[in-house]
Amino acid sequence: MKNQSRHINRPTAKQFTLVALVLSLFAIGGCEGPSDGEGQQINAIVLPTDTLLNLACADAGIGFELCILGDPENPFAQVATPEFNVNNPDAATKFELANNIPAGPTGAKARFYLWATALARFPSGENQWYTARALHELYDANSDTLIQEQALRAYRSVLDNFWGSVTFFTCCGGVSFSVNLNEQTADDLYRTDSTGFVRLIPGDPLNAQALMAQWGYTYRPATPPDYNDGLVTINGG
Amino acid sequence: MKTLDIPQESNFKERVVAMAVPKFKQNASKLFGLLTVALFLAASMASQAHAADVVTTYKDENGWKLQVNGQDFYAKGVVWSYSPRGQNYSYNLWAESDDHIRKVLDYDMGLLKAANVNSIRSFAMIPPKWVTYIYREHGIMFVVNPLMGRYGYMIGGQWVPFTDYSDPLTRATLKADMLEIVNRYKDTPGVLMFAFGNESNYGLSWSSFEIENLPEGEQNTAKARYLYSLFNEVIKDGKQIAPHVPFTIVNGDIQYIDLIAELMPDLDILGSNVYRGSSFTSLWKDVDEKLDLPVIFFEFGSDAFNARDYREDQVSQAKLLKAQWQEMYNKAYGNGEEGNSIGGYVFEWRDEWWKYLQEENLDTQDNNASWSNQAYLFDWAEGQNNMNEEWFGIAALGKQNADGVWTARPRMAYDVLGEIWGMDPYLNKKAAFNQGINNINMEFLELKGEVRQLKSENEEEKGKLSFTGGRVQGELVLRGSDESVRVDGENGIDFSDGQMLFLDFEFQPVQELEGQFSLNILGNVADKRPLEFTYGDRGLPITGFTVGELDGNQFIRETELSTGERVEIYDFEATYQGENFDITGFYHTPRFHWGYEGDFFGLVAEATDIYGMDIWNAKAPEGIEIQGKNKWKNLRLLMGPEVYWGANPKFIVKYDFDFGKFDVTFIHSEDVARSGEGASATQATERQSRQTTLFAEREFGDGWKIELGGIMAATEKVDDIYTRVDGSGNIILDQVDHEDTMGFKAKLTMPLFGTETYVQAHHAGLVADGGQVHKVFGINDPSRLPYSGLGNKREYEAGMIMNFGNLMVFPRLMYRDNLIDANPFIEASIGPGGVLNPGITPRDRDSDPFAVLGNREARSAEVVFKWDPTGASEFYRWDNDWREDAKFAFDFGANYTEYPTFTDANLFFLEPLGVNASFGQGLPAEDVWTLSSRMVFNPKQGRKYITRVVRGFDQSTGNPEGGTRDYWQFHWKALFGGKHTFEGYFMKDAWGPYDFYRQFNVTYPEQVKLDYSILLGGNTGSFVSAVGENEATRIGIRALYRSGDDDSDLNPLIDGDYVFMTVLYLTYQF
Repeated sequence: MKNQSRHINRPTAKQFTLVALVLSLFAIGGCEGPSDGEGQQINAIVLPTDTLLNLACADAGIGFELCILGDPENPFAQVATPEFNVNNPDAATKFELANNIPAGPTGAKARFYLWATALARFPSGENQWYTARALHELYDANSDTLIQEQALRAYRSVLDNFWGSVTFFTCCGGVSFSVNLNEQTADDLYRTDSTGFVRLIPGDPLNAQALMAQWGYTYRPATPPDYNDGLVTINGG
Repeated sequence: MKTLDIPQESNFKERVVAMAVPKFKQNASKLFGLLTVALFLAASMASQAHAADVVTTYKDENGWKLQVNGQDFYAKGVVWSYSPRGQNYSYNLWAESDDHIRKVLDYDMGLLKAANVNSIRSFAMIPPKWVTYIYREHGIMFVVNPLMGRYGYMIGGQWVPFTDYSDPLTRATLKADMLEIVNRYKDTPGVLMFAFGNESNYGLSWSSFEIENLPEGEQNTAKARYLYSLFNEVIKDGKQIAPHVPFTIVNGDIQYIDLIAELMPDLDILGSNVYRGSSFTSLWKDVDEKLDLPVIFFEFGSDAFNARDYREDQVSQAKLLKAQWQEMYNKAYGNGEEGNSIGGYVFEWRDEWWKYLQEENLDTQDNNASWSNQAYLFDWAEGQNNMNEEWFGIAALGKQNADGVWTARPRMAYDVLGEIWGMDPYLNKKAAFNQGINNINMEFLELKGEVRQLKSENEEEKGKLSFTGGRVQGELVLRGSDESVRVDGENGIDFSDGQMLFLDFEFQPVQELEGQFSLNILGNVADKRPLEFTYGDRGLPITGFTVGELDGNQFIRETELSTGERVEIYDFEATYQGENFDITGFYHTPRFHWGYEGDFFGLVAEATDIYGMDIWNAKAPEGIEIQGKNKWKNLRLLMGPEVYWGANPKFIVKYDFDFGKFDVTFIHSEDVARSGEGASATQATERQSRQTTLFAEREFGDGWKIELGGIMAATEKVDDIYTRVDGSGNIILDQVDHEDTMGFKAKLTMPLFGTETYVQAHHAGLVADGGQVHKVFGINDPSRLPYSGLGNKREYEAGMIMNFGNLMVFPRLMYRDNLIDANPFIEASIGPGGVLNPGITPRDRDSDPFAVLGNREARSAEVVFKWDPTGASEFYRWDNDWREDAKFAFDFGANYTEYPTFTDANLFFLEPLGVNASFGQGLPAEDVWTLSSRMVFNPKQGRKYITRVVRGFDQSTGNPEGGTRDYWQFHWKALFGGKHTFEGYFMKDAWGPYDFYRQFNVTYPEQVKLDYSILLGGNTGSFVSAVGENEATRIGIRALYRSGDDDSDLNPLIDGDYVFMTVLYLTYQF
């Protein structure tokens, strides 16, 4: 043992080595943030204008399926689709985006992605119905039977998964009114004038009623002139 | 002391302890010597106001004897302690009421006296008045045995866990304190001797570079020189203070006997703890030859558990003790052998159920053998442990009697020793006591012991299921608001009542499996919300909304849907002790983090706040732990649905190993599912993930330590997409890559300028999330540095613990940057021609692979001042409220933290839907600060005052609405008369008392709580522990008041300007 008088905390070579080791580890620590040039700049995304839709998965746009959020063709995958916030009623919502998508067939595919994205993030009858409408519009444009089938499944999902949901329309000088979406869905399937698109169920409108019966619902069609008295009931319900 | 050496030719040698008289002449006659001694004894006794006893050692050609007031005294006793079930080393009998202490002493000393015990040794410093009480009432003397830094000591205001006997300040401190103890006890009747340390030679754990440089074999010898030279200094000076009693040490066996001979000329007796099995072998001869001193054993004996057969083994213990005492008697004065045995203290009087694990399983007697000793052949096996720490008593720990005293169930050894101790080795000839010992009817005493054991087991009903106690709680609640009273008058005050019953059970269907559980049964449940949330709220009605119809119109109405379960299992724990593994199942019982066991990144969070979890009826922690033993001892596996509060269902495996001079720990944690509900009412759930860490640590000596760790986490997030804004304001779509899962952390601790200084760096990739950060002083560390386990950071921290006497000054600094900042909110838009500007929103931890939250950019500085003259009662220990014994201790801390950037969005758990929801926006940039202080006063026994003041300017932990809060808090607790408690708080503009208030940024202008209670008896005579306070039989009344304003209106139950509540409560323990 050495003389006690040397019992002083004087750094030794070993201690210097330790400090140097730790400091060098700190310096080379890695975990750097991304540098400029990494990643993909997405300031401006040109929305698709074609009508050829490749479904990311079999249930894309149906119910609670989330695959649309990982679809590389989905321009809205990283875009906020805010719902109406009762605490902040003036904030922008998904409707601002929807209203600015070009009308007509050139915007149909973008509309589908918008509403399917909103549906995946916030499953609601409103988002499901708009998704179905967008698919319907696409079918009207491209007559693709796969899209026809998907549109029917989306409409059915409104009835199966979101029975009782409503959405709000504004008309006539800013007056809002609610629409029962199960009735609207049945009307869209039953009546061409409801959507302005080709029928999803070809032939007699009775075929639409028959299909809905197969799904477990009975539809009493709306009547002119306002077509607001349709009634959908659940069979055996 | 000076040794009085009578001329050799007279064949008479005597050591009269510490006589402050001139040297005798070398040729003084025997008669003169005896007369002088007699005169001194008389004078000494007369001069002492309390008539302290004069204890001397005596030697002639027949050997050594101890004498008390001139009478031969062969020390026959035990190491005595009193540790109730459910308590551990922190239990302090002397803080109980005098009445209770007297009952305990009368019970224990009565049994000991019946077994012919004449003196005891105790680790506890029995207060002088009780030493005298024991002596006068029961005739039992006491060895004063301060441990002298054996298990750490307060040096220069700092608690030093491994005492450095070479340090000048340490030596001066220990010496001064030991002499103060000698001074305090010197006139106390019943003091037999002073003994210092406890196997201190086995605890030479401190390190310094000077000693490290020596060859390994010489390192401890060098340290031991410091130890024994200090012992001698203390003894030498001690004899100046108390010249009438002997001084000794408690050595581990006779290690360093040559050093003792060289460095301790003032030692009167060699005191030693010896575990050599049934014989002390060559010890007598070695001491005789090298020290020429009498020998007293301060510990020896055997456990009463057979680790091989896995059962209580009274017979082996009794036989071993019998052989040991027979040998000791033969080695006593006048038997023609070494003659240097003067007695001993069997370890120990009664089993202590806290010895294994020390903080856990305090209500059950562990069967775990924690060390191996080949000298105990009755249960020794190669490679297996055989010493069962919780089974060393010559009496088992029984149940409480009507006086509230924990009883002792004497084992066979008690009876055997009682017969041996009934024989005086000085009055009886050698042949006579040997015959007496040989004639002890061992078969009868074995039967007697077994009958007691059977009777006890029948009482405890172990082997099946036994009911061990419980408590009943009742309360009457009045609750209202100014608005309800204004509108409805007296009818505006709600009245409710509540009753609750706890029933505690133990079981041990086979020897290897034992456990306990408690049932909770609800009667009515008083509704105290929103002022209080308490365990049992599960029984309140669960309401929901249904559609009603009246006159053809539909309307929404609130409806009582159901009530919660009235009966539930409150907690459960069971352990199976196998040959190579111990398996423990646990459910809602406290569990500790693994931070001291290589968990550098905090993957296993601490779950000890059972009362906090109870508020939300949480059942964490819940799972199974498998701890390897023997060749598997480095392996540990933990798994379960919620192994700590808020954990996803997961398994964690840990393996420790050595790599060169480093201690290395590998841990892998894997979530197997995602939790379906949040911890507490609103804490968000976490995504299923995984983490792997590797940690290496090395202590270099003299306070230098390096810790290095690496983590790889959340590899399932590789290729996940996220958005960010670059320096030019562009929105960038990016992906998580492998580098983002990696993190590295290093910490260097060093004694810079004589302090404990540390520097730490932590670089973590975007998703390299660790867990709970372990602060320097544990969960009660007052630090407000913005610690976070999340990744996405470059974090640097430094601190320096400086001690100036009893004052500690601890400044700390933290600097943290993020690799990627939080996202701002930029609204998405679609321009002409269908060009989408995607905008960007704050991230959250559900929708995005990472988010900037608690790990936000920060620059933080703080300083803590702490004054605590009694370091053994650590100021930041969780139970310091009860343990702190300084007359006055306090701390004061100040923190200033700058958050230069905003955060991403926090989540909360939306219970009605069972999903996480986002606050939508992050917290803004802000500079925050806090001042806080806690003070403890102990003006006299049975009286304690504790205050805590906080003044702060701080942000919410979730919702940014409402802004930063400027608030005050004042909490107090006063204990007086040993049974009265008055506590409460006053808070101004502060969040409510539960976490969610801060999460939702809900504050109140004023909050007041006043609570008075009185202890009505039960286990203890005063509040000496957390358990004692929370579960004691008591009655009390509590009043709460809370005013509201615009920042409080998130709570729908606040209707009006204020709410109030009064609770009359009773807890009955049985």
